[in-house]
Amino acid sequence: MIVCVAVVGHQNNPLYLQSFTEADDALKLHHVVHCSLDVIDERVNNPKKSAPTLNETFLGLLYPTENYKVYGYLTNTKVKFLMVTTDLDVKDADARNFFRKFHAAYVDAVSNPFHVPGKKIASRSFGARVSTIVKSFGSGTVG
Amino acid sequence: MDPLRSYLGRLLLEDVTPVVMVLTTPLAEAACRKSGLSFVDMLSPFSLFKKIDVPVRTASDQPYRLQQFKIRMVYASDVRKQDREVADARIKLVVSEANEKALPDLLSDPPQLKDVLNKPEAELCPLWIKKFNRELIRTLSFSDHETFDHPVACLLVVSSKDKEPISKFADLFNANQLPPLLNEGIMDPQILKHYLVLHEQQDGPQEIAVNILAEMRTTLGLNDCKLLSINSSTQADGSDADNSWSTYKAHGLHNHEGTCFLNMDDLNEIKDFMQDFASNHIIPYMEQKIRVLNQQVATTRKGFRNQIKNLWWRKRDDVPEAANGPMYTFTSIESQIRVLSDYAFMLRDYELALSNYRLLSTDYKLDKAWKRFAGVQEMSGLCYFMLDQSRKDAEYCMENAFTTYLRIGSSGQRNATRCGLWWAEMLKTRGQHREASTVYFRISNEEPSLHSAVLLEQAACCYLLSSPRMLRKYGFHLILAGNSYYLSDQKQHAVRAYRNALFVYKQNPWSYINNHVHFNVGRWYGVLGIFDVAIKHLLEVIACSHQSLTTQSMFLNDFFHFVQSTGEKFDVYKLQLPVFNMSSLRVVNEDHRTYASNTDVDVNESIWQELEEELIPSSSVVRTNWLDTQPKSSPFRNNKACVCVAGEAVKLNVELKNPLQISVNVSGISLICQLSTNLNASGAETGALTTAPEEDIANTKPSISTFESDGNNFTVSKLDIVLGGGETKRIQLEVTPKVIGILKLVGIRWTLSDSVVGYQYFEVATQKKNKKGKRGARRSLNTNLIVIKGLPKLTGYIECLPTKAFTGDLQLLTLNLRNQSEHAVKNIKMKISHPRFVIPGDSSDLDLEFPQCLRKHVQSDSNTVSEGTKENVKGSLFAFPQGIKIQGGATFSWPIWFHAATPGNFSLYLSLYYEMESTTDIPYRTLRMHYNVEVLPSLDVSFAISMCSSRLQEYIVRMDVINKTPSDSFALNQLSCVGTKWAVSTLPSRDSISFVETIPANQAVSCFFKIKDLSTSSCIEAADGSCGSDIVLSAGGSTDVFDVSRTPITDFHYQERYQQGKLAKVPRGLLDFILISKAVAVNSSKPEQLLSHHTCHCSALSQNPVWWLMEGPRTITHDFSKSCCEANIQLVIHNSSEHNTTVRVVTSDCMAEKTKTAPSHESATGQGGWYDVSLENDIKAIASTKGAHSQKQSSESISPFVWCSLSSAQVDLKPDSSAKIPLKVCIFAPGTYDFSTYELHWKVHSSESGHVDENVTSGGGQGYPFYVNVLQGA
Repeated sequence: MIVCVAVVGHQNNPLYLQSFTEADDALKLHHVVHCSLDVIDERVNNPKKSAPTLNETFLGLLYPTENYKVYGYLTNTKVKFLMVTTDLDVKDADARNFFRKFHAAYVDAVSNPFHVPGKKIASRSFGARVSTIVKSFGSGTVG
Repeated sequence: MDPLRSYLGRLLLEDVTPVVMVLTTPLAEAACRKSGLSFVDMLSPFSLFKKIDVPVRTASDQPYRLQQFKIRMVYASDVRKQDREVADARIKLVVSEANEKALPDLLSDPPQLKDVLNKPEAELCPLWIKKFNRELIRTLSFSDHETFDHPVACLLVVSSKDKEPISKFADLFNANQLPPLLNEGIMDPQILKHYLVLHEQQDGPQEIAVNILAEMRTTLGLNDCKLLSINSSTQADGSDADNSWSTYKAHGLHNHEGTCFLNMDDLNEIKDFMQDFASNHIIPYMEQKIRVLNQQVATTRKGFRNQIKNLWWRKRDDVPEAANGPMYTFTSIESQIRVLSDYAFMLRDYELALSNYRLLSTDYKLDKAWKRFAGVQEMSGLCYFMLDQSRKDAEYCMENAFTTYLRIGSSGQRNATRCGLWWAEMLKTRGQHREASTVYFRISNEEPSLHSAVLLEQAACCYLLSSPRMLRKYGFHLILAGNSYYLSDQKQHAVRAYRNALFVYKQNPWSYINNHVHFNVGRWYGVLGIFDVAIKHLLEVIACSHQSLTTQSMFLNDFFHFVQSTGEKFDVYKLQLPVFNMSSLRVVNEDHRTYASNTDVDVNESIWQELEEELIPSSSVVRTNWLDTQPKSSPFRNNKACVCVAGEAVKLNVELKNPLQISVNVSGISLICQLSTNLNASGAETGALTTAPEEDIANTKPSISTFESDGNNFTVSKLDIVLGGGETKRIQLEVTPKVIGILKLVGIRWTLSDSVVGYQYFEVATQKKNKKGKRGARRSLNTNLIVIKGLPKLTGYIECLPTKAFTGDLQLLTLNLRNQSEHAVKNIKMKISHPRFVIPGDSSDLDLEFPQCLRKHVQSDSNTVSEGTKENVKGSLFAFPQGIKIQGGATFSWPIWFHAATPGNFSLYLSLYYEMESTTDIPYRTLRMHYNVEVLPSLDVSFAISMCSSRLQEYIVRMDVINKTPSDSFALNQLSCVGTKWAVSTLPSRDSISFVETIPANQAVSCFFKIKDLSTSSCIEAADGSCGSDIVLSAGGSTDVFDVSRTPITDFHYQERYQQGKLAKVPRGLLDFILISKAVAVNSSKPEQLLSHHTCHCSALSQNPVWWLMEGPRTITHDFSKSCCEANIQLVIHNSSEHNTTVRVVTSDCMAEKTKTAPSHESATGQGGWYDVSLENDIKAIASTKGAHSQKQSSESISPFVWCSLSSAQVDLKPDSSAKIPLKVCIFAPGTYDFSTYELHWKVHSSESGHVDENVTSGGGQGYPFYVNVLQGA
């Protein structure tokens, strides 16, 4: 199950952070997402193999904690997408697929002429779309 | 890095060392106590040998030399597993001690990024943490699965005062008192024993002791007995001894009582003893043992045969045993290998140790003795490290050990921790800080909160040291550590950890985390009693808008709690609660522009300027005028400052917002100002400044009078408000300067919940910004104002101007002006933005009773409307009569007519101009008034005019009135044609039908009227008074007629005509109507409401330049038996155009088909009084009577009559003249005939070329129906 998704701007400022848990663990998820940025920074600054990962947006597993796994995705404009999940084995293809949809939703949201770039995404339809993507991700892995 | 020099290397060299078990008699112990030391304490400083330089030869034949060596001295009673709680308590003590040291550090500012980065590594990980780590490792001492803590030797000590010392030795090594390790068979009880006689020099000469020693040597062995003399010093305080000890104090020796009987000789003797003990006894013993054991291992385990045997033996023995694996006694080969490898490790023969550990690990693995296996793996990992060989193997071993320990459950937990600590140190030595921090994090999960806190803090440090730096993880782990510290009641440490993390979250907009950190730091500071810092941190979070309501109230409550705990008021710069929107800041100062109310200020300056264009002298001229007359004009120009008038309040509008969901109480909002009485520009900066005094805060009462009595130069208003959750309020603050000078608005201060005083200064940079924006001077936030001498000022308002009115509403209002100053003002002028709505009246109107004054009087002087007023109205500039002056303190009223012309929202702008009687700095001022009026739709009136077919110069008018209000009813009162040219009357012979008087809501009514052009036709009716320009529609009769030619109505009509003429597409209007109606009041208490609707430029739907009319007998009696009947009729043609017209009349005998095509839908609409209410129909609807009539004859194909005189006639008509064309019809049978089968074609000869509309230059028309009844004569 995905517990949290986040969009982080190119200056590492949070643009969107939504948790999908009942519990009041927003602070923890904030921390987890925030910490994962360190890993993204590291991956971006020291790419191990530059050739195959040059155009790769999907960053893979970033940060396995005891309870969560964090997956990341980096757009060309250095906007980061993060997904925190409690599933222990997530297929990379599933995660990729999820991020692709998420990215599309984000692009649509920021294409709104009333959206101020660099500000938090307040669009309700974006939130709704993200939660459907998140739900479909859960069902996809189960089924 | 040489592993031996690394921290872990040194740690292992110090901690994994031979243990010497010490057994003392009470008397020997007592001798040491005299110096305030235990025996072990006394010896331990000398148990570390920095330069021992001993040759060692272990299994190999190649000897090597040990430079540094250490032995651990432990009482026999301590050689046991430590009680967990006692150990934890000791660890806690270590942490708490560090607490107290940290306290002063907490008072300083939290560290910034660069501070942390510049810190040396040692400081990041303070000493006490290392101490903590060692204590944590030490809790595992003397475990049974490892042997490096097992005593290598035993030191038995008796005092020379003991009786029968030899037997005492035997007693000491009594099995009952020995530690369980030896008794339970885990370790070999046959260990090296060393006997020592302790002699106190104070007690007498050494002879007794020497005797005892000699005796011991004979019984216990020559080499194993020693004599040690102590307490040689006779001076109790031992001041020189202190000095001698000082070199050893670093080793953790504390002489608590301050008395020491040890002198230099004693110390040297102890030192020599220890040196001898270590190099001549312990090390050789260990060498010996290693060699023996190695031999043993070689015979039983080395070689192919032994290995096969071993495997076979283990397999056979492979039966499930105890959970920790089989019990290994000291005699078992496994224990012996372990002892061998541990000894080898202690003697730093790591190769030997490693090979044996590896040998052992397979055995334990096969035996499933997991704890032992893990222990062996751990040691082999350390061996790899010390050998600085294969890092991979070292790490693999450590990881293996770690996971194995974790797997066996709680019994291996602490071992896992120890293993982790070593592992982490190993990684740190190799610069793999990230991996180290992961290890720390993993072990922190297994430990109680206090331990895990320290471990997390170390993990955080590692993230900081790692490359690249992982600051976010550093922060996160510090937060985790802080949280754990807090849970284990170590608040200082918690605060320290959180503080160190603050900078990580500072710049980033991760406010959620930032708030959490600040709040907790603040709260814990508060708990620690450091309130000022606590408040400082809490200030960062109290304005958090994004948190939930409960969080916000928690933040706020804690904040106020701490503020109250301090018991004093706080001054906080830029307090974030409430938020003052500085961009919304507006300074309103009235120079020559004054405003009637505060809202008028918000109106765009350009509107006013446009309005006042004609009113005021051009601004540049004025400015130079009054500035030039000023002797001190320079500061005005230099500062570009605004001007305000002494005694008049300068207002400052600012928006303040409560970001929280909780309502907050803000009191005493006031301006901070400075007023310098020195007009010199430089003096304004440095001159004597009067600040709003600090006593403001103390004076909770908003007492302006106090300030006055204080002799201050200005007064400041105070405002108390309560801001609801999320509310934004716009407030107005005032400062009233009292003397001439330069007023500087500095900032705002306010009090939050009576406890915290916030203040904020205006930023100077705004001035520049405004210049860029090219806004008016008044708009800019110019905080410097020049105060000039007091001026007269008018205030004014329009009394009861409605905010809502129905369309057409006509009211008489009063403009009230008041001069508040002492000086008179003169030359008052007024300009109104919408003269369609508001017209100034006449002074005589003031006393009139409305609406009776509008009634037509018997002796109505119709010439009241002078051309002059019309001109005034046109320009909408109204000058009050010259003589009018408003004296100081006087009030002045003037009538104002209001007429709601069209529906919609309207902003009325009025600007009053007045001049000062006396000469002042500013020669004139303007008073600006602004009102918003919402005009609701009421009656919708439209007229349709069509030419009358039966009379010349007459029109039929249909008036459609729709009530568009949802609930109000209106009574129609009167319809008037404007001007004297037209007469309106009801349709002839319909006088008796009463009109519909009231139109209820949402209903429509249509009425028909006849209008007649009085000017052209000099007919008889002109003299007839019954047919005037007004027609009364109500039952009230002619007394209720209003005079539309009197001043307000006609003025408004003039405006309407002008406005509608602009809109109208029709180029030439025929006439204007005014419908006057009254609102039917629901309750009669309301004054009568009069509505006048002006419809201008009405014209007939089809206006022909030619009128024609058939005249002739209507009934003819003729005897058809004699002949056919000839009827003489004539066609009267009138030219109403302004040009000569040629008209041709064509008669035809059959034209029935044409009339059939007459549009029938038009007739359908005009029949009833009710019809579909829609705008398009209103316009189209024509009472086309001609269409309705002309359809009867269609059935007859052959006309029963023939035109007989001429088939075509042509006449030329001069403008405004008539002609008669005689026509003759021949009728053959009696009946009723319609002689409409003729056509008119006309052509207008315009004298001036082209200016006449194309549509009317030529045209034609069907004949009107003319019925003649022909009867058979007798």
